[in-house]
Amino acid sequence: MTDDADARIARLEAEVERLRLRAEAEPFAERLAGALSRASAAGTIGSPVTHARLLELIVETAAHVISARAAALFLLDEEAGELVFEVALGSKAEEVKKHRVPLGSGIAGLVALSGQPLAVSDASSDPRQARDIADAVGYVPESILCVPLVYADETIGVLELLDKEGAPSFSAADMEALGLFANQAAVALQQSLTHRSLAALVAEIAESTGEAGRGDGARALAALADTDPGYRGARELAALVHEIAAHGEDELEACTAILRTFAGYLQGRPRPGGELGGRAP
Amino acid sequence: MSEGPRPAWSSAFDPGALPALDPIARIDDITPEWAWGDSSGAGVKVAVIDSGVDASHPAVGSVEGYLSVSQDGEELAYDKQPHEDVFGHGTACAGIIRTLAPDCELYSVRVLGPGLKGRGTVFAGGLRWAIENGMQVCNLSLGSTKRDLFGVFHELTDLAYFQGVMLVTAANNMPVTSFPSLYASVFSVASHDVDDPYRFYYNPDPPVEFGALGIDVRLAWRDGGFITATGNSFAAPHISGLVAKILGKHPGLTVFQMKTVLRALAANVSRDG
Repeated sequence: MTDDADARIARLEAEVERLRLRAEAEPFAERLAGALSRASAAGTIGSPVTHARLLELIVETAAHVISARAAALFLLDEEAGELVFEVALGSKAEEVKKHRVPLGSGIAGLVALSGQPLAVSDASSDPRQARDIADAVGYVPESILCVPLVYADETIGVLELLDKEGAPSFSAADMEALGLFANQAAVALQQSLTHRSLAALVAEIAESTGEAGRGDGARALAALADTDPGYRGARELAALVHEIAAHGEDELEACTAILRTFAGYLQGRPRPGGELGGRAP
Repeated sequence: MSEGPRPAWSSAFDPGALPALDPIARIDDITPEWAWGDSSGAGVKVAVIDSGVDASHPAVGSVEGYLSVSQDGEELAYDKQPHEDVFGHGTACAGIIRTLAPDCELYSVRVLGPGLKGRGTVFAGGLRWAIENGMQVCNLSLGSTKRDLFGVFHELTDLAYFQGVMLVTAANNMPVTSFPSLYASVFSVASHDVDDPYRFYYNPDPPVEFGALGIDVRLAWRDGGFITATGNSFAAPHISGLVAKILGKHPGLTVFQMKTVLRALAANVSRDG
Protein backbone atom coordinates (compact mmCIF):
# COMPACT_ATOMS: atom_id res chain seq x y z
CA MET A 1 0.00 0.00 0.00
CA THR A 2 2.76 2.38 0.99
CA ASP A 3 4.79 1.42 -2.09
CA ASP A 4 1.76 1.92 -4.27
CA ALA A 5 1.07 5.31 -2.72
CA ASP A 6 4.70 6.36 -2.97
CA ALA A 7 4.78 5.33 -6.59
CA ARG A 8 1.67 7.41 -7.29
CA ILE A 9 3.12 10.39 -5.50
CA ALA A 10 6.37 9.98 -7.44
CA ARG A 11 4.42 9.78 -10.71
CA LEU A 12 2.48 12.87 -9.79
CA GLU A 13 5.63 14.78 -8.95
CA ALA A 14 7.21 13.68 -12.21
CA GLU A 15 4.16 14.88 -14.10
CA VAL A 16 4.20 18.25 -12.38
CA GLU A 17 7.87 18.62 -13.25
CA ARG A 18 7.26 17.56 -16.84
CA LEU A 19 4.43 20.05 -17.21
CA ARG A 20 6.44 22.76 -15.58
CA LEU A 21 9.29 22.20 -18.02
CA ARG A 22 6.85 22.02 -20.89
CA ALA A 23 5.21 25.22 -19.76
CA GLU A 24 8.59 26.91 -19.69
CA ALA A 25 9.63 25.49 -23.03
CA GLU A 26 6.35 26.27 -24.73
CA PRO A 27 6.48 29.51 -26.59
CA PHE A 28 3.52 30.82 -24.62
CA ALA A 29 5.62 33.15 -22.52
CA GLU A 30 7.10 34.68 -25.63
CA ARG A 31 3.78 34.81 -27.41
CA LEU A 32 2.36 36.52 -24.39
CA ALA A 33 5.27 38.92 -24.18
CA GLY A 34 4.84 39.70 -27.88
CA ALA A 35 1.14 40.26 -27.46
CA LEU A 36 1.83 42.48 -24.49
CA SER A 37 4.27 44.67 -26.33
CA ARG A 38 1.84 44.95 -29.24
CA ALA A 39 -1.02 45.71 -26.87
CA SER A 40 1.08 48.27 -25.04
CA ALA A 41 2.08 50.03 -28.22
CA ALA A 42 -1.47 49.96 -29.50
CA GLY A 43 -2.78 51.06 -26.12
CA THR A 44 -0.48 54.04 -26.18
CA ILE A 45 -1.90 55.12 -29.51
CA GLY A 46 -5.41 54.51 -28.33
CA SER A 47 -6.64 51.30 -29.92
CA PRO A 48 -8.66 49.01 -27.65
CA VAL A 49 -8.64 46.21 -30.23
CA THR A 50 -5.28 44.76 -29.32
CA HIS A 51 -6.19 44.55 -25.66
CA ALA A 52 -9.09 42.33 -26.65
CA ARG A 53 -6.66 40.30 -28.75
CA LEU A 54 -4.39 39.89 -25.73
CA LEU A 55 -7.29 38.46 -23.74
CA GLU A 56 -8.03 36.06 -26.59
CA LEU A 57 -4.42 35.05 -26.80
CA ILE A 58 -4.26 34.30 -23.09
CA VAL A 59 -7.31 32.07 -23.34
CA GLU A 60 -6.15 30.35 -26.55
CA THR A 61 -2.67 29.68 -25.20
CA ALA A 62 -3.93 28.34 -21.88
CA ALA A 63 -6.36 26.01 -23.66
CA HIS A 64 -3.59 24.84 -25.98
CA VAL A 65 -0.95 24.24 -23.30
CA ILE A 66 -3.31 22.34 -20.98
CA SER A 67 -5.24 20.62 -23.83
CA ALA A 68 -8.70 21.93 -23.05
CA ARG A 69 -11.58 21.86 -25.52
CA ALA A 70 -12.92 25.25 -24.46
CA ALA A 71 -11.96 28.14 -22.23
CA ALA A 72 -13.18 31.44 -20.87
CA LEU A 73 -11.80 34.48 -19.13
CA PHE A 74 -13.67 36.73 -16.71
CA LEU A 75 -12.48 40.05 -15.28
CA LEU A 76 -13.63 41.27 -11.92
CA ASP A 77 -15.73 44.42 -11.66
CA GLU A 78 -15.07 45.39 -8.02
CA GLU A 79 -17.70 48.14 -8.00
CA ALA A 80 -20.54 46.01 -9.27
CA GLY A 81 -19.40 42.83 -7.48
CA GLU A 82 -19.62 40.94 -10.74
CA LEU A 83 -17.45 38.93 -13.06
CA VAL A 84 -17.47 40.31 -16.58
CA PHE A 85 -17.20 37.60 -19.16
CA GLU A 86 -14.57 38.78 -21.66
CA VAL A 87 -13.48 35.95 -23.93
CA ALA A 88 -14.68 32.47 -24.75
CA LEU A 89 -13.05 29.88 -26.92
CA GLY A 90 -14.86 26.71 -27.89
CA SER A 91 -17.56 25.13 -29.98
CA LYS A 92 -20.42 27.44 -29.14
CA ALA A 93 -18.40 30.36 -27.87
CA GLU A 94 -19.11 32.61 -30.83
CA GLU A 95 -22.85 32.44 -30.15
CA VAL A 96 -22.43 33.84 -26.71
CA LYS A 97 -22.58 37.54 -26.07
CA LYS A 98 -20.57 39.32 -23.46
CA HIS A 99 -22.39 39.16 -20.18
CA ARG A 100 -21.95 39.48 -16.44
CA VAL A 101 -22.01 36.87 -13.71
CA PRO A 102 -22.82 37.87 -10.14
CA LEU A 103 -20.14 36.74 -7.70
CA GLY A 104 -22.75 35.25 -5.40
CA SER A 105 -22.65 31.71 -6.75
CA GLY A 106 -20.98 29.36 -9.17
CA ILE A 107 -17.49 28.04 -9.67
CA ALA A 108 -15.96 31.21 -11.17
CA GLY A 109 -17.34 33.40 -8.38
CA LEU A 110 -16.14 30.97 -5.74
CA VAL A 111 -12.61 30.94 -7.16
CA ALA A 112 -12.57 34.74 -7.40
CA LEU A 113 -13.68 35.10 -3.77
CA SER A 114 -11.67 32.31 -2.15
CA GLY A 115 -8.53 32.82 -4.22
CA GLN A 116 -8.17 29.02 -4.36
CA PRO A 117 -8.00 27.18 -7.69
CA LEU A 118 -10.62 24.48 -8.16
CA ALA A 119 -11.16 21.60 -10.59
CA VAL A 120 -14.48 19.83 -11.03
CA SER A 121 -14.58 16.50 -12.82
CA ASP A 122 -18.29 15.73 -13.13
CA ALA A 123 -19.81 19.12 -13.79
CA SER A 124 -22.45 17.80 -16.18
CA SER A 125 -23.88 15.37 -13.61
CA ASP A 126 -25.49 18.31 -11.85
CA PRO A 127 -25.76 21.22 -14.30
CA ARG A 128 -26.86 23.60 -11.53
CA GLN A 129 -23.30 23.61 -10.24
CA ALA A 130 -21.85 25.00 -13.46
CA ARG A 131 -24.63 27.36 -14.46
CA ASP A 132 -22.36 30.39 -14.69
CA ILE A 133 -19.89 28.85 -17.11
CA ALA A 134 -22.68 27.08 -19.00
CA ASP A 135 -24.29 30.47 -19.58
CA ALA A 136 -20.96 31.90 -20.69
CA VAL A 137 -20.00 29.30 -23.28
CA GLY A 138 -23.45 28.03 -24.20
CA TYR A 139 -23.17 24.41 -23.03
CA VAL A 140 -22.54 22.40 -19.86
CA PRO A 141 -18.98 21.08 -19.72
CA GLU A 142 -17.92 17.69 -18.34
CA SER A 143 -14.86 18.97 -16.49
CA ILE A 144 -13.75 22.43 -15.32
CA LEU A 145 -10.45 23.88 -14.16
CA CYS A 146 -10.67 27.39 -12.75
CA VAL A 147 -7.85 29.55 -11.34
CA PRO A 148 -7.79 33.15 -10.11
CA LEU A 149 -5.85 35.86 -11.95
CA VAL A 150 -3.90 37.62 -9.21
CA TYR A 151 -1.95 40.82 -9.75
CA ALA A 152 -0.24 42.76 -6.94
CA ASP A 153 -2.10 40.82 -4.23
CA GLU A 154 -5.49 41.47 -5.83
CA THR A 155 -7.69 39.05 -7.70
CA ILE A 156 -8.47 40.75 -11.02
CA GLY A 157 -10.39 37.89 -12.64
CA VAL A 158 -10.50 34.16 -13.28
CA LEU A 159 -9.39 31.89 -16.08
CA GLU A 160 -11.49 28.82 -16.69
CA LEU A 161 -10.68 25.81 -18.86
CA LEU A 162 -13.37 23.33 -19.91
CA ASP A 163 -13.28 19.67 -20.95
CA LYS A 164 -9.80 18.20 -20.76
CA GLU A 165 -8.90 16.48 -24.04
CA GLY A 166 -8.21 12.77 -23.69
CA ALA A 167 -8.97 12.53 -19.97
CA PRO A 168 -12.10 12.62 -17.82
CA SER A 169 -10.80 15.53 -15.77
CA PHE A 170 -8.01 18.05 -15.26
CA SER A 171 -5.13 16.85 -13.08
CA ALA A 172 -3.39 18.48 -10.14
CA ALA A 173 -0.45 19.02 -12.49
CA ASP A 174 -2.75 20.88 -14.91
CA MET A 175 -3.85 23.05 -12.01
CA GLU A 176 -0.26 23.87 -11.15
CA ALA A 177 0.68 24.61 -14.76
CA LEU A 178 -2.37 26.83 -15.27
CA GLY A 179 -1.52 28.60 -12.02
CA LEU A 180 1.95 29.48 -13.35
CA PHE A 181 0.42 30.61 -16.62
CA ALA A 182 -2.30 32.68 -14.92
CA ASN A 183 0.35 34.58 -13.00
CA GLN A 184 2.02 35.71 -16.22
CA ALA A 185 -1.30 36.43 -17.83
CA ALA A 186 -2.38 38.63 -14.92
CA VAL A 187 0.78 40.73 -15.23
CA ALA A 188 0.31 41.14 -18.98
CA LEU A 189 -3.35 42.00 -18.53
CA GLN A 190 -2.76 44.58 -15.86
CA GLN A 191 0.01 46.28 -17.83
CA SER A 192 -2.16 46.37 -20.90
CA LEU A 193 -5.04 47.83 -18.86
CA THR A 194 -2.74 50.50 -17.45
CA HIS A 195 -1.62 51.49 -20.92
CA ARG A 196 -5.20 51.54 -22.05
CA SER A 197 -6.28 53.85 -19.26
CA LEU A 198 -3.29 56.12 -19.96
CA ALA A 199 -4.39 56.28 -23.57
CA ALA A 200 -7.95 57.03 -22.48
CA LEU A 201 -6.68 59.82 -20.24
CA VAL A 202 -4.64 61.33 -23.04
CA ALA A 203 -7.62 61.15 -25.40
CA GLU A 204 -9.84 62.79 -22.81
CA ILE A 205 -7.42 65.63 -22.26
CA ALA A 206 -7.06 66.17 -25.98
CA GLU A 207 -10.82 66.20 -26.41
CA SER A 208 -11.51 68.57 -23.55
CA THR A 209 -9.00 71.11 -24.79
CA GLY A 210 -10.21 71.06 -28.38
CA GLU A 211 -8.13 71.09 -31.53
CA ALA A 212 -6.69 74.55 -30.98
CA GLY A 213 -6.53 74.09 -27.23
CA ARG A 214 -3.77 75.89 -25.42
CA GLY A 215 -4.90 75.09 -21.88
CA ASP A 216 -3.31 73.00 -19.13
CA GLY A 217 -4.52 69.80 -20.72
CA ALA A 218 -2.81 70.45 -23.99
CA ARG A 219 0.39 71.40 -22.19
CA ALA A 220 0.20 68.20 -20.12
CA LEU A 221 -0.32 66.22 -23.29
CA ALA A 222 2.59 67.95 -24.98
CA ALA A 223 4.77 67.37 -21.92
CA LEU A 224 3.86 63.69 -21.89
CA ALA A 225 4.61 63.35 -25.59
CA ASP A 226 7.96 65.07 -25.09
CA THR A 227 9.10 63.26 -21.99
CA ASP A 228 7.81 59.72 -22.51
CA PRO A 229 10.00 58.11 -25.16
CA GLY A 230 7.63 55.13 -25.46
CA TYR A 231 4.71 57.40 -26.22
CA ARG A 232 6.73 59.52 -28.64
CA GLY A 233 8.02 56.44 -30.47
CA ALA A 234 4.61 54.86 -30.72
CA ARG A 235 3.09 58.12 -31.92
CA GLU A 236 5.70 58.49 -34.64
CA LEU A 237 5.13 54.90 -35.71
CA ALA A 238 1.36 55.42 -35.70
CA ALA A 239 1.75 58.58 -37.78
CA LEU A 240 3.87 56.71 -40.33
CA VAL A 241 1.41 53.83 -40.57
CA HIS A 242 -1.41 56.34 -40.88
CA GLU A 243 0.40 58.09 -43.74
CA ILE A 244 1.04 54.81 -45.53
CA ALA A 245 -2.59 53.74 -45.02
CA ALA A 246 -3.69 56.95 -46.70
CA HIS A 247 -2.16 55.60 -49.94
CA GLY A 248 -4.49 52.59 -49.97
CA GLU A 249 -5.15 49.11 -48.61
CA ASP A 250 -2.45 47.37 -50.66
CA GLU A 251 0.16 49.75 -49.31
CA LEU A 252 -1.05 49.18 -45.74
CA GLU A 253 -0.93 45.41 -46.26
CA ALA A 254 2.63 45.61 -47.58
CA CYS A 255 3.62 47.74 -44.60
CA THR A 256 2.09 45.20 -42.19
CA ALA A 257 3.86 42.32 -43.94
CA ILE A 258 7.23 44.06 -43.70
CA LEU A 259 6.76 44.84 -40.01
CA ARG A 260 5.59 41.30 -39.29
CA THR A 261 8.64 39.81 -41.03
CA PHE A 262 10.92 42.08 -39.06
CA ALA A 263 9.17 41.18 -35.79
CA GLY A 264 9.49 37.49 -36.69
CA TYR A 265 13.21 37.95 -37.31
CA LEU A 266 13.55 39.70 -33.94
CA GLN A 267 11.65 36.94 -32.16
CA GLY A 268 13.97 34.30 -33.62
CA ARG A 269 17.07 36.22 -32.63
CA PRO A 270 18.66 35.31 -29.29
CA ARG A 271 18.22 38.10 -26.79
CA PRO A 272 18.71 38.84 -23.14
CA GLY A 273 15.68 38.07 -20.95
CA GLY A 274 13.14 40.85 -20.89
CA GLU A 275 10.56 41.53 -18.22
CA LEU A 276 8.16 38.94 -19.51
CA GLY A 277 9.97 36.92 -22.13
CA GLY A 278 12.93 36.28 -19.88
CA ARG A 279 13.50 32.89 -18.34
CA ALA A 280 14.50 32.24 -14.79
CA PRO A 281 18.25 31.66 -14.56
CA MET B 1 18.94 33.93 46.45
CA SER B 2 16.68 36.93 46.29
CA GLU B 3 13.13 36.50 47.59
CA GLY B 4 11.95 39.60 45.69
CA PRO B 5 9.25 39.63 43.01
CA ARG B 6 10.17 37.81 39.79
CA PRO B 7 10.14 39.52 36.38
CA ALA B 8 6.69 39.24 34.77
CA TRP B 9 7.27 36.22 32.50
CA SER B 10 9.18 34.33 35.16
CA SER B 11 6.33 34.29 37.65
CA ALA B 12 4.84 31.38 35.72
CA PHE B 13 7.87 29.32 36.76
CA ASP B 14 7.59 29.99 40.47
CA PRO B 15 7.63 26.46 41.93
CA GLY B 16 4.38 27.19 43.73
CA ALA B 17 2.66 28.32 40.54
CA LEU B 18 3.85 25.59 38.16
CA PRO B 19 1.11 23.05 37.46
CA ALA B 20 2.08 19.39 37.16
CA LEU B 21 1.43 18.18 33.61
CA ASP B 22 0.48 14.73 32.40
CA PRO B 23 3.05 13.07 30.15
CA ILE B 24 2.10 12.19 26.59
CA ALA B 25 3.08 8.93 24.92
CA ARG B 26 6.66 8.32 23.87
CA ILE B 27 6.85 9.25 20.21
CA ASP B 28 7.58 5.63 19.26
CA ASP B 29 4.39 4.54 21.01
CA ILE B 30 2.07 6.84 19.07
CA THR B 31 -0.29 4.71 16.99
CA PRO B 32 -3.71 5.46 15.50
CA GLU B 33 -5.15 3.44 18.39
CA TRP B 34 -3.36 5.69 20.87
CA ALA B 35 -4.11 8.87 18.94
CA TRP B 36 -7.83 8.51 18.30
CA GLY B 37 -8.91 4.94 19.02
CA ASP B 38 -12.70 5.00 18.74
CA SER B 39 -13.00 8.76 19.18
CA SER B 40 -15.72 10.33 17.04
CA GLY B 41 -14.62 13.87 17.85
CA ALA B 42 -17.48 14.21 20.34
CA GLY B 43 -17.33 17.43 22.34
CA VAL B 44 -14.77 19.07 20.04
CA LYS B 45 -15.77 22.44 18.60
CA VAL B 46 -14.82 22.77 14.93
CA ALA B 47 -15.35 26.01 13.02
CA VAL B 48 -15.68 25.91 9.25
CA ILE B 49 -14.63 29.42 8.24
CA ASP B 50 -15.93 29.51 4.70
CA SER B 51 -19.02 30.19 2.57
CA GLY B 52 -21.50 28.87 5.13
CA VAL B 53 -22.62 25.31 5.86
CA ASP B 54 -25.88 23.77 4.69
CA ALA B 55 -27.09 21.87 7.76
CA SER B 56 -29.87 20.24 5.75
CA HIS B 57 -27.37 18.43 3.52
CA PRO B 58 -27.41 14.70 4.39
CA ALA B 59 -23.59 14.62 4.47
CA VAL B 60 -23.41 17.38 7.08
CA GLY B 61 -25.93 16.63 9.82
CA SER B 62 -26.39 19.22 12.50
CA VAL B 63 -24.68 22.58 12.80
CA GLU B 64 -24.19 23.70 16.39
CA GLY B 65 -23.90 27.42 15.76
CA TYR B 66 -23.68 30.08 13.07
CA LEU B 67 -21.88 33.34 12.61
CA SER B 68 -22.04 35.42 9.46
CA VAL B 69 -19.52 38.25 9.17
CA SER B 70 -19.91 41.17 6.79
CA GLN B 71 -18.58 44.66 6.35
CA ASP B 72 -20.98 47.40 7.45
CA GLY B 73 -19.39 50.76 6.66
CA GLU B 74 -16.14 50.85 8.61
CA GLU B 75 -17.33 48.25 11.11
CA LEU B 76 -17.74 44.50 10.92
CA ALA B 77 -21.26 43.16 11.43
CA TYR B 78 -21.84 39.78 13.12
CA ASP B 79 -25.06 37.83 12.63
CA LYS B 80 -25.79 34.61 14.53
CA GLN B 81 -28.93 33.68 12.60
CA PRO B 82 -28.73 30.36 10.71
CA HIS B 83 -27.50 30.97 7.16
CA GLU B 84 -27.16 28.92 4.00
CA ASP B 85 -24.27 28.16 1.70
CA VAL B 86 -24.81 29.61 -1.78
CA PHE B 87 -21.56 28.14 -3.12
CA GLY B 88 -21.35 24.68 -1.58
CA HIS B 89 -17.69 25.10 -0.60
CA GLY B 90 -18.20 25.30 3.18
CA THR B 91 -20.71 22.46 3.01
CA ALA B 92 -18.12 20.34 1.20
CA CYS B 93 -15.54 21.01 3.94
CA ALA B 94 -18.07 20.26 6.68
CA GLY B 95 -19.01 16.99 4.98
CA ILE B 96 -15.38 15.85 4.90
CA ILE B 97 -14.87 16.74 8.57
CA ARG B 98 -18.00 14.73 9.43
CA THR B 99 -16.68 11.60 7.69
CA LEU B 100 -13.71 11.59 10.11
CA ALA B 101 -15.21 13.15 13.24
CA PRO B 102 -18.95 12.35 12.96
CA ASP B 103 -19.84 13.65 16.42
CA CYS B 104 -17.82 16.87 16.54
CA GLU B 105 -19.69 20.15 17.11
CA LEU B 106 -19.69 22.04 13.83
CA TYR B 107 -19.87 25.83 13.73
CA SER B 108 -20.36 27.67 10.46
CA VAL B 109 -18.47 30.96 10.31
CA ARG B 110 -19.45 32.55 7.01
CA VAL B 111 -16.91 34.99 5.60
CA LEU B 112 -17.36 34.28 1.88
CA GLY B 113 -20.57 35.83 0.66
CA PRO B 114 -21.83 37.55 -2.44
CA GLY B 115 -20.14 40.80 -1.41
CA LEU B 116 -16.57 41.68 -2.24
CA LYS B 117 -16.19 44.51 0.21
CA GLY B 118 -13.55 44.03 2.85
CA ARG B 119 -12.96 40.39 1.95
CA GLY B 120 -9.70 40.12 3.89
CA THR B 121 -10.98 42.06 6.89
CA VAL B 122 -14.17 40.01 7.06
CA PHE B 123 -12.11 36.81 6.90
CA ALA B 124 -9.84 38.03 9.71
CA GLY B 125 -12.93 39.06 11.75
CA GLY B 126 -14.42 35.57 11.41
CA LEU B 127 -11.14 33.97 12.42
CA ARG B 128 -10.81 36.24 15.46
CA TRP B 129 -14.34 35.39 16.55
CA ALA B 130 -13.60 31.66 16.29
CA ILE B 131 -10.37 31.91 18.32
CA GLU B 132 -12.00 34.05 21.00
CA ASN B 133 -15.15 31.96 21.29
CA GLY B 134 -13.89 28.56 22.25
CA MET B 135 -13.39 26.89 18.89
CA GLN B 136 -10.72 24.17 19.15
CA VAL B 137 -10.22 23.50 15.44
CA CYS B 138 -10.68 26.01 12.60
CA ASN B 139 -10.80 24.84 9.00
CA LEU B 140 -9.53 27.56 6.65
CA SER B 141 -9.93 26.42 3.05
CA LEU B 142 -9.36 29.95 1.83
CA GLY B 143 -6.71 32.61 2.05
CA SER B 144 -6.12 36.29 1.64
CA THR B 145 -3.54 37.65 -0.79
CA LYS B 146 -3.54 41.08 0.85
CA ARG B 147 -0.07 41.86 2.16
CA ASP B 148 -1.36 44.69 4.35
CA LEU B 149 -3.14 42.04 6.41
CA PHE B 150 0.12 40.22 7.13
CA GLY B 151 0.29 41.69 10.64
CA VAL B 152 -3.35 41.02 11.46
CA PHE B 153 -3.14 37.37 10.46
CA HIS B 154 0.20 36.98 12.19
CA GLU B 155 -1.30 38.24 15.44
CA LEU B 156 -4.32 35.97 15.05
CA THR B 157 -2.33 32.82 14.29
CA ASP B 158 -0.04 33.47 17.27
CA LEU B 159 -3.10 34.02 19.47
CA ALA B 160 -4.51 30.71 18.27
CA TYR B 161 -1.20 28.93 18.86
CA PHE B 162 -0.91 30.22 22.42
CA GLN B 163 -4.53 29.25 23.18
CA GLY B 164 -4.12 25.76 21.72
CA VAL B 165 -6.51 26.42 18.81
CA MET B 166 -5.63 24.30 15.78
CA LEU B 167 -5.80 26.35 12.56
CA VAL B 168 -5.85 24.04 9.55
CA THR B 169 -5.28 25.93 6.31
CA ALA B 170 -5.35 25.01 2.64
CA ALA B 171 -2.09 25.92 0.92
CA ASN B 172 -2.70 27.79 -2.32
CA ASN B 173 -1.78 25.87 -5.46
CA MET B 174 -1.01 29.14 -7.20
CA PRO B 175 2.38 30.82 -7.05
CA VAL B 176 0.87 33.63 -4.95
CA THR B 177 1.17 34.69 -1.34
CA SER B 178 -1.73 33.42 0.73
CA PHE B 179 -2.34 34.26 4.37
CA PRO B 180 -2.45 32.64 6.84
CA SER B 181 -1.36 29.35 5.24
CA LEU B 182 2.31 30.33 5.24
CA TYR B 183 2.73 30.86 8.99
CA ALA B 184 4.59 28.34 11.14
CA SER B 185 1.81 28.08 13.73
CA VAL B 186 -0.82 26.64 11.37
CA PHE B 187 -1.32 23.19 9.86
CA SER B 188 -0.79 23.98 6.17
CA VAL B 189 -2.18 21.28 3.86
CA ALA B 190 -1.84 20.40 0.16
CA SER B 191 -3.34 17.53 -1.85
CA HIS B 192 -2.51 13.93 -2.62
CA ASP B 193 -4.66 11.60 -4.73
CA VAL B 194 -4.71 8.34 -2.77
CA ASP B 195 -8.39 7.66 -2.18
CA ASP B 196 -8.11 7.17 1.59
CA PRO B 197 -9.37 9.95 3.89
CA TYR B 198 -7.11 8.71 6.72
CA ARG B 199 -3.93 8.73 4.68
CA PHE B 200 -1.73 11.79 5.10
CA TYR B 201 1.92 12.69 4.63
CA TYR B 202 4.36 14.90 6.46
CA ASN B 203 6.52 17.21 4.34
CA PRO B 204 9.89 17.92 5.99
CA ASP B 205 10.30 20.92 3.67
CA PRO B 206 7.69 23.47 4.89
CA PRO B 207 5.79 25.84 4.73
CA VAL B 208 3.29 23.20 3.57
CA GLU B 209 3.72 20.50 6.22
CA PHE B 210 0.90 18.06 5.48
CA GLY B 211 -0.54 16.29 2.44
CA ALA B 212 -4.07 14.85 2.56
CA LEU B 213 -6.68 13.64 0.08
CA GLY B 214 -7.68 16.55 -2.15
CA ILE B 215 -7.77 15.16 -5.68
CA ASP B 216 -11.00 13.87 -7.23
CA VAL B 217 -12.84 13.97 -3.93
CA ARG B 218 -16.58 13.24 -3.80
CA LEU B 219 -18.07 16.27 -2.03
CA ALA B 220 -21.32 17.49 -0.60
CA TRP B 221 -22.22 20.70 -2.48
CA ARG B 222 -24.95 23.30 -2.70
CA ASP B 223 -28.66 22.52 -3.13
CA GLY B 224 -28.21 19.11 -1.48
CA GLY B 225 -26.07 17.95 -4.41
CA PHE B 226 -22.67 16.32 -4.79
CA ILE B 227 -19.70 17.01 -7.05
CA THR B 228 -16.29 15.48 -7.58
CA ALA B 229 -13.60 18.12 -7.31
CA THR B 230 -9.90 18.76 -6.83
CA GLY B 231 -8.28 21.44 -4.70
CA ASN B 232 -6.25 21.96 -1.54
CA SER B 233 -9.50 23.35 -0.16
CA PHE B 234 -10.60 19.74 0.25
CA ALA B 235 -7.31 18.40 1.60
CA ALA B 236 -7.39 20.73 4.63
CA PRO B 237 -10.69 19.41 6.08
CA HIS B 238 -9.29 15.87 6.09
CA ILE B 239 -6.61 17.08 8.51
CA SER B 240 -9.21 19.14 10.43
CA GLY B 241 -11.34 16.02 10.87
CA LEU B 242 -8.39 13.96 12.10
CA VAL B 243 -7.28 16.70 14.47
CA ALA B 244 -10.84 16.87 15.89
CA LYS B 245 -10.83 13.10 16.29
CA ILE B 246 -7.50 13.21 18.16
CA LEU B 247 -8.66 16.09 20.37
CA GLY B 248 -11.75 14.03 21.22
CA LYS B 249 -9.45 11.53 22.92
CA HIS B 250 -6.71 13.96 24.05
CA PRO B 251 -8.47 17.25 24.80
CA GLY B 252 -5.49 19.14 26.19
CA LEU B 253 -3.00 18.75 23.35
CA THR B 254 -1.14 21.88 22.29
CA VAL B 255 -0.49 22.81 18.68
CA PHE B 256 3.11 21.56 18.79
CA GLN B 257 2.03 18.29 20.41
CA MET B 258 -0.63 17.80 17.73
CA LYS B 259 1.98 18.34 15.02
CA THR B 260 4.21 15.78 16.73
CA VAL B 261 1.35 13.26 16.82
CA LEU B 262 0.55 13.84 13.14
CA ARG B 263 4.23 13.62 12.20
CA ALA B 264 4.47 10.28 14.04
CA LEU B 265 1.43 8.89 12.19
CA ALA B 266 2.23 10.21 8.70
CA ALA B 267 2.21 7.53 5.98
CA ASN B 268 5.71 8.43 4.82
CA VAL B 269 7.27 7.91 8.26
CA SER B 270 9.12 4.61 8.51
CA ARG B 271 7.97 2.38 11.34
CA ASP B 272 10.67 -0.30 11.19
CA GLY B 273 12.67 -1.20 14.25
